[in-house]
Amino acid sequence: MFASLDISTSGLVAQQTRLMTISSNLANISSLRNENGELEPYQAKYPIFTPDETQATPSGGVGVKVTAIETETIEPRYRYQPHHPMAIQSGKWKGYVAYPNINVMAEFVDALEATRAYEANLGVMELTKNMAQQTLQILV
Amino acid sequence: MIDQLLGSTTLPALEESLRFTEARHEVLAGNIANWSTPDYEVRDLSVTEFQQRLKEAIELQQSYQRPSIRGLSRSKRGDPLREVRQSLKTIRYHDGSNVGLEQQVTELVKNQLMHNTAITLLQNQFRMLQTAISGNISV
Repeated sequence: MFASLDISTSGLVAQQTRLMTISSNLANISSLRNENGELEPYQAKYPIFTPDETQATPSGGVGVKVTAIETETIEPRYRYQPHHPMAIQSGKWKGYVAYPNINVMAEFVDALEATRAYEANLGVMELTKNMAQQTLQILV
Repeated sequence: MIDQLLGSTTLPALEESLRFTEARHEVLAGNIANWSTPDYEVRDLSVTEFQQRLKEAIELQQSYQRPSIRGLSRSKRGDPLREVRQSLKTIRYHDGSNVGLEQQVTELVKNQLMHNTAITLLQNQFRMLQTAISGNISV
């Protein structure tokens, strides 16, 4: 019974992590430099979900875990702004500024899906609680 | 004596039903938790398989054998209780997972109904025993 709560919690945590990466992707939509201050536009991050077999219940129920946060490797979005302080000085893209290439629409849809999945797990938790409550009713 | 008293009722069968529904609830909760896991295959415990075994066990009344969940899951043909459903109900999505939320929620609710039914029957059974023990119908 309590294992179901743990499983649902793993779902909640996973979806929460996913929402965090989405907000990170949206917050950094104009970040032109990386954390070391080098000129490198932000790349979107995505969590990787896998079934958590190590925590499987004897009946075969499995939770989910975030095994990795992967960084996208996509060509940046180039905008011609030769007077911009971060414009590329030489090469093919001279005079262009490299912006992060984040698909805002996809991020929002992902956020919506994560929210719904979160709600679904909360719903299952509610059912679990009801079941436990009902089981205790045997004693009455 | 108490074993005979309790064994002659439907209590053991109801107990096994509860055990099964609780185990199945865990599995279904896992399906919902893995809703957005790519390549995840829906897991389920077979209700028909459980009911079949329970029926067989009940028919062996003299030497009552409890169809324990553990015994069930390690039985013939690999793992029949954990079989992935092969039906149109579980359409595979583009990410390789086949968790249909509506289907899973329906199964969860059905499972809960089965659980609550077993509990209500258990309660009635205990109440009847209580009545028989006290010998007072008005209780």
